[in-house]
Amino acid sequence: MIRTPRASALAATVALLAAAACSDGGDDVPVGGEEAGSGGTFVAAISAQPDQLDPHQTTAYASFQVLENVYDTLVVPNPDDLTFEPSLATDWETSEDGLTWTFTLRDDVTFHDGSELDSADVVYTFRRIIDEELQNAYRFATVEDVRAPDPTTVEFVLSEPTPNLLDHVGSYKGVAILPEGAAEDLDLATEANGTGPFRLEDVGADGITLTAFEDYWGEGPGVDEVEFRFISEPTTALTALQTGEVHWTDNVPAQRVEELQGSGDVTVETVPSVDYWYMAVNFARPPFDRAEVREAIALALDREAIADAAQFGLARVNQTAIPEESFWYHDYAPYERDVDAARDLLAEAGVEDLTMGLMVTDEYPETVEVAQVIAANLEEVGITVDIQTEQFSTWLDRQGAGDFDAFLLGWLGNLDPYGYYHSQHVCEGENNYQGYCDPETDELLERAATEADEDARKELYDEAAERIVDANSYIYLYNPSVVQAWTDEVSGYELRPDRAINLETVTLS
Amino acid sequence: MTALDDTPAGPAEAGQVAAPDEAVGARGLLRALLRNRLAAAALVVLAIFVVVAVLGERLAPYGRNEVSSADKLRAPSLEHPFGTDQLGRDVLSRVLIGAEPSLRVGLVAVGIALVAGVVLGLVAGYYRGLVDDVVMRCMDVLFAFPAILLAIAVMAIRGRGATNAMIAIGVVYTPIFARVTRASVLTVREQVFVRAARSIGAGDLRIMTRHVLPNVAAPIIVQTSISLAFAILAEAALSFIGLGTQPPEPSWGRMLADGRGFIQDAWWMAVFPGLAIFAVVLSFNVTGDALRDALDPRQRSAIESAAGRG
Repeated sequence: MIRTPRASALAATVALLAAAACSDGGDDVPVGGEEAGSGGTFVAAISAQPDQLDPHQTTAYASFQVLENVYDTLVVPNPDDLTFEPSLATDWETSEDGLTWTFTLRDDVTFHDGSELDSADVVYTFRRIIDEELQNAYRFATVEDVRAPDPTTVEFVLSEPTPNLLDHVGSYKGVAILPEGAAEDLDLATEANGTGPFRLEDVGADGITLTAFEDYWGEGPGVDEVEFRFISEPTTALTALQTGEVHWTDNVPAQRVEELQGSGDVTVETVPSVDYWYMAVNFARPPFDRAEVREAIALALDREAIADAAQFGLARVNQTAIPEESFWYHDYAPYERDVDAARDLLAEAGVEDLTMGLMVTDEYPETVEVAQVIAANLEEVGITVDIQTEQFSTWLDRQGAGDFDAFLLGWLGNLDPYGYYHSQHVCEGENNYQGYCDPETDELLERAATEADEDARKELYDEAAERIVDANSYIYLYNPSVVQAWTDEVSGYELRPDRAINLETVTLS
Repeated sequence: MTALDDTPAGPAEAGQVAAPDEAVGARGLLRALLRNRLAAAALVVLAIFVVVAVLGERLAPYGRNEVSSADKLRAPSLEHPFGTDQLGRDVLSRVLIGAEPSLRVGLVAVGIALVAGVVLGLVAGYYRGLVDDVVMRCMDVLFAFPAILLAIAVMAIRGRGATNAMIAIGVVYTPIFARVTRASVLTVREQVFVRAARSIGAGDLRIMTRHVLPNVAAPIIVQTSISLAFAILAEAALSFIGLGTQPPEPSWGRMLADGRGFIQDAWWMAVFPGLAIFAVVLSFNVTGDALRDALDPRQRSAIESAAGRG
């Protein structure tokens, strides 16, 4: 869900597994008590507090965990294969030249304040993102105009064919549809007026409460209320789940998963995610500008051990970015650990006594773990790794300023290969902090971005991916799994590879 | 905490001055310490600690960052007497190697506090007046912050790492040394031998270093031992929250933090580094108490009141 790197950054901040030392167990209010004739209160423990709730501005995963249930998008990724299916738009078509996309909207959708959804709201939404240059504006670089010929039709006029427009308008709630004038009428950081199954009721320091929206256009919701509580410590979150204090959490210590699955007192499910984690070295800093040195590093890594350190057997080694489950997966794994070959390459390059600073952040504790494995691996080929643990804000500043030898981080929630590869590897890409620049890769990526035929597009991306991997622009490491757990009372919940937490169809017994 | 601050030579301090020739010799001191069985045991622990810290890597059966994902989270066995951690590293080796950063940070931090605190306390106590007021009020300000909080604040300004941890802890413990020193100096400066030295024309510097300092050494030595315990604990605390010694360098505090998430599955990850911290800190404390008794039983109250912060 977090798309831009920086997003991934910030966002992530809050995100996943993490978070540092201090936490508390939340309060002890028992849950599920309100029998009053219906669905009850679903209590979810998430690991961090949303920074704000404006879907177009926040980049924090925690925010999207909440917003997923409050807002809708034109289209949504299907939970199984992540292809796009109708949501607020029932139908869409592309003109023959690929330059006009026409979306037909549902006519039975109301916002939480009772007003009806029409095409003006959609135009307002995308104008806001583009004109105010908000978080996702870069996705709409090819959009020349968004217009509303009638109340249920929206047209996107493009400067170039954009085959992945659906991804841009629907991959996550960062492109949620707001009612016209919402940004002026409401303080969107703390208020919401969406079309989703739940309305935002209360935003507090300990948690966020949502209540069921009775006029929701889709199925459900199946519970009266949803309460998100913030519990940053995984062991605390798990205890809260086991004692029945919460119904659901995604903050499960990876090392406990196997045991929990065996014990049967809670349901723990895992699914390979669409995220990937990687190491990048700074092409602007000798000797990392030399292909042999980068290749030596790639050959020295024990990728199985790295994946294992990251997520205890739940992460899967991948030498390209896109996971196996995806249509866009390309089976390409040229590196097999070879310490001698790595030493030879370093000798060939005339590199001795190399010390490599490796920037990590305890915002994502797995980067600190992985860095220690990498340090041990590279020591064997004669490279000393200086692990630099930084606060995430400092980390980002250093990344932005190019002040690093190497760093570890991940990209979360990508669906389309454009998101996986483009801005990270084109010469002028806004996320190309490592400084890789190869005209041929550029051309492949640019052509792929506008290629309408899916198979031809995949071939272009496959070719680009091979060049990227061969040059070690990113040294891809692994795809982690999504891990979530819930109690026996919960039914109708579905784990998703894109980490969206959709509670529309959840019921409690 | 400070009845001593502005009263020149009250009854509390009157007793704590030893005449120059009465100073306890090092050998006598050691003998006195060894008579106390608890202190003897503590000294043995500290001796082991120092030997381990010096030899560290040579004693360890495995390397400091020898990861092996096949061996992760192994329970204690002959091969790995303290078990292995989440990356398959030998916990025993890391506990042994982790002694060195603990000792180094402890010694350097206390060294900083000792030098800075004694100089400030000496100057303040000797000159009194405005110098005293300014110096000691600054020390009071530092003293007002909870120790670990102040250390974290210093680390936030200077950045992470063992070096900055030393500086942070050194700054935090400077006021204690300043106070202990000043309290003793206040009484010594009124003594006959000091006045005598001055009357034959000795300069301030000479009087301070040759006549005053040796006579305030006893409480400072005791304070040093006690502060070493605190400094090692502080280093562990800073490393626990990720600010002190940086991975992959083993440090007891960091190992404790890593072990916390695995306490249900791998108790050995946290227990052994925890025991190491416990043994060393307790030993320094016991030694400090014994030193105090040996040096001068009567000065107990003076040190306690000067060092009386949480």
